[in-house]
Amino acid sequence: MKIAVLVKQVPGSESVLPILGDTTWIDEAQATFVMNPPDNFAIEEALLIKEKIGEGEVVIISMGPSRVQKVIREGLAKGADRGIHLEEDGTIETDPLSNAKSFTSVLKEENFDLVLSGLQSDDTGMGQTGVLIGEMLGMSTATLAMEVEIQSPTIRVKRELESGWFQWVKLKMPSAISIQSGLNTPRYPSLKGIMGAKRKEIKVVPASDHQTHSKSQSIDKVFVPQTSKQTVVIEGDADSVVSKIVNILKSDIKVI
Amino acid sequence: MLTFPEKIIFILLVISSLGLSWISFSKMFRVIGSGSQPINWKNVIVNWPKGFAAFIGQKTLFKTRPIIGFIHALVAWGFTFYLIVNVVDVIYGFIPDFHLLPNHFIGDAYRFFVDSFSVLVLLGVVYFLVRRFIVGDEKLATNQTVMLSDAARVGMRKDSLLVGLFIISHVGFRFLSATFEIAQHQADWSQPAATLLSGLWQNMDLSSLVLLEHISWWLALGLILGFLPYFPYSKHAHLFMGPLNFMVNIPRRSMATLEMIDFEDEKLEQYGAGQFHHLPQTQLLDAYACIQCSRCQDACPAYQTGKELSPSAIEINKRYFVNENLSKLSDGQLIDIPLTQWMLSEEAAWSCTTCGYCVEVCPVGNEPMVDILRARQDLVMMESNFPKDAMESFDKMENYGNPWGLSPQDREKWMEGRNVPLMREKKEADVLYWAGCSGAYDSRGKEISQAVVDVMNKAGVDFATLGNEETCTGDSARRIGNEYLFQMMATQNLETFEQYKFKKIVTQCPHCFSTLKNDYAELGTELDVVHHSQFIGELVSNGKIKPEPWMEDDVTYHDACYLGRHNGEYDAPRDVIQSIMKGGNLVEMEQTKEESFCCGAGGGNMWYEIDKGERINKIRFNEAASTGAKTVATACNFCNIMMEDGMKVTGHDQDMKVMDIAEMVMKGL
Repeated sequence: MKIAVLVKQVPGSESVLPILGDTTWIDEAQATFVMNPPDNFAIEEALLIKEKIGEGEVVIISMGPSRVQKVIREGLAKGADRGIHLEEDGTIETDPLSNAKSFTSVLKEENFDLVLSGLQSDDTGMGQTGVLIGEMLGMSTATLAMEVEIQSPTIRVKRELESGWFQWVKLKMPSAISIQSGLNTPRYPSLKGIMGAKRKEIKVVPASDHQTHSKSQSIDKVFVPQTSKQTVVIEGDADSVVSKIVNILKSDIKVI
Repeated sequence: MLTFPEKIIFILLVISSLGLSWISFSKMFRVIGSGSQPINWKNVIVNWPKGFAAFIGQKTLFKTRPIIGFIHALVAWGFTFYLIVNVVDVIYGFIPDFHLLPNHFIGDAYRFFVDSFSVLVLLGVVYFLVRRFIVGDEKLATNQTVMLSDAARVGMRKDSLLVGLFIISHVGFRFLSATFEIAQHQADWSQPAATLLSGLWQNMDLSSLVLLEHISWWLALGLILGFLPYFPYSKHAHLFMGPLNFMVNIPRRSMATLEMIDFEDEKLEQYGAGQFHHLPQTQLLDAYACIQCSRCQDACPAYQTGKELSPSAIEINKRYFVNENLSKLSDGQLIDIPLTQWMLSEEAAWSCTTCGYCVEVCPVGNEPMVDILRARQDLVMMESNFPKDAMESFDKMENYGNPWGLSPQDREKWMEGRNVPLMREKKEADVLYWAGCSGAYDSRGKEISQAVVDVMNKAGVDFATLGNEETCTGDSARRIGNEYLFQMMATQNLETFEQYKFKKIVTQCPHCFSTLKNDYAELGTELDVVHHSQFIGELVSNGKIKPEPWMEDDVTYHDACYLGRHNGEYDAPRDVIQSIMKGGNLVEMEQTKEESFCCGAGGGNMWYEIDKGERINKIRFNEAASTGAKTVATACNFCNIMMEDGMKVTGHDQDMKVMDIAEMVMKGL
């Protein structure tokens, strides 16, 4: 079983996000970068599948500037076997279709049985790259996997639907699946893993060799949303406070 | 006194006893030798006074349980004195009519001591047996929730009974033998007790008295010869191993400062201790030194609040593991059962706050806390098996440089509107002020940092701080067992220090203080680190600041473990508090200074929750409240957080408050 896990490095949830002068992206020099949190679950799922089957290879693949090697190493420390880094210079590409094409161009020779990805990235949150790659590689695809059962040559996936509904689907492998967060408990790398990761291979491929420059979308502007909520403190004795709240619920918010 | 055949038998007995002892003692040392990190016998040269003080002075017994400690001292002194007595008695047996310096005051004094110590030892041991077997002191029992081997639960009582009866019989028969001897001759008032008792035998004929004297002599000395090879199997081995333990212990800069692990060393395959033979030899020796008194268990905040941890159970389990696997272990075989299956449960390992109280009170110099720290290293670095919340803190430390996971760019927010010079602008200052993560991010911590810099500005101190260049010292990572992450954080900070010139580091966080001072020194960089209590204390005594006394209510000071027990600083914070007292008194809690009770946050417990039993901070706050003080003074941001929380859950938030000593001083400036 050969499994690819797509990971992305994104600004951490507590990072400062100063916007660049041209307002098309953030000032990366000031941001703190971490592994895209949903990708942790995809890595864990890949490792669990490999451990359950007892054989196979888990390959961590990421695109971005040299800083992304940190998250590839993180995956290797947890137990993945090798990494592939599509190295970008200068501006990073945010268009999922364009990115999917680049990834596909690298992945097609590898003949993966499974391509796993986190459900979406915490920066742009498109949630498309993994599925697009699956389609381009001619794989079966499923999104938001809550549970994965390998029954070679097929795979059963429990998908999360809206309003608490689930769906079991059976796919013929090879498949590309996006993993819902929370389905497993990502491990912390052991020291043996951390030490071992230093010796594992990360193949660096210049992304420019695989980029198509045919963008389907681009970012016009990033900005910090303006908060417009106002807090009203209602004072007085219990009775008057209650009647005021009832009034607000009736006439202002119109919920009762 | 002895007949010729008796002499022959005695000599044969001595030879076989020594032979058997050689076998049993060498087995014991082979078991100890199966541990990692060979004992450095050179430490004996430096540490022998410690062992001597413990053995002769019985000093370590008086810290807690002073009355029991005193009775133990009588038994111990008596028993030790008996080693000389036994030699004299053997000579008496072999040389007809031998007496040690008869008709000389030294000989009389000797006989008086033997006589009185015989009585004291007998009374003492009877007291101990009554305490254990009739009264059933609950301090000698261990909660069922604690992992303690079944063999130990039964074996400890048997062992105690055996040791008790041995001492009673040995000393008792020696005493009886003296009474029979006196009855044959005349009253000897240098032995008043024996002479009094000999009155009972006045109607016996001489031959019966001689026979009884022989029987008693044989039982007294025979028991010693019989027990000698048995020592290593019984907890009574503490008699030798306790003092030895003090002499060979690995020297530490502070209680929780473990030796540095060299991650460059590719031959190292094990980090921390996951199995018996991973424990250093000194810690296997601990098991033999332990007399199973459970003083550490009394002290342990985790045990006292109903967690699965008992420090004494760790040592006792080690000892019974040895007993059960003696032949394999002494043959050098490795037993690969994880420590968490027989020494302490995983939950127990995570319950330790590393407060060091167990190490402080141990009368034989054991370090159960260090066992726990080593077990944690294995669980984290080898097994990757530890509380999920701790894992998140590791990620936050690694990614954001602080366990809160807040932005590293927000470290300077607490400084806004204040004169706080930055090292990156100033490059050089007398004092590098280290705010620490809690001092930069926690809402109360920020107020404390502000008070510290306000005091420094008032005193005209030339200082600067690192601001956003500062990153977690790695204290929590190290105590939780993530040595690798600790070294990462430490290396980063040490590189930052190299860029600037400063004379000393001042910090209000005892965890940062101890880590920078002791743990960083292990990495090869000695820094002059001063706690804010010491620094402010000096500013007050030098007259650089003159705080106006304002405190009219009583204050109680809660000792921070990493300032007090770990670094021996008890006076500085108290002196600082005294400088602002006006009318009110500084009152002490029941458990104070060396015996202070933890707030519950240390050892990484700030970052994960052991959801069992009572909360440590609640117990401690109640203790503080019971002094009647209106203010609880702290000198540690974590203690401050825990005490404020304790104040809220105990419903004291209206009538009491928690203040850092820097805030108290600043209020008077």
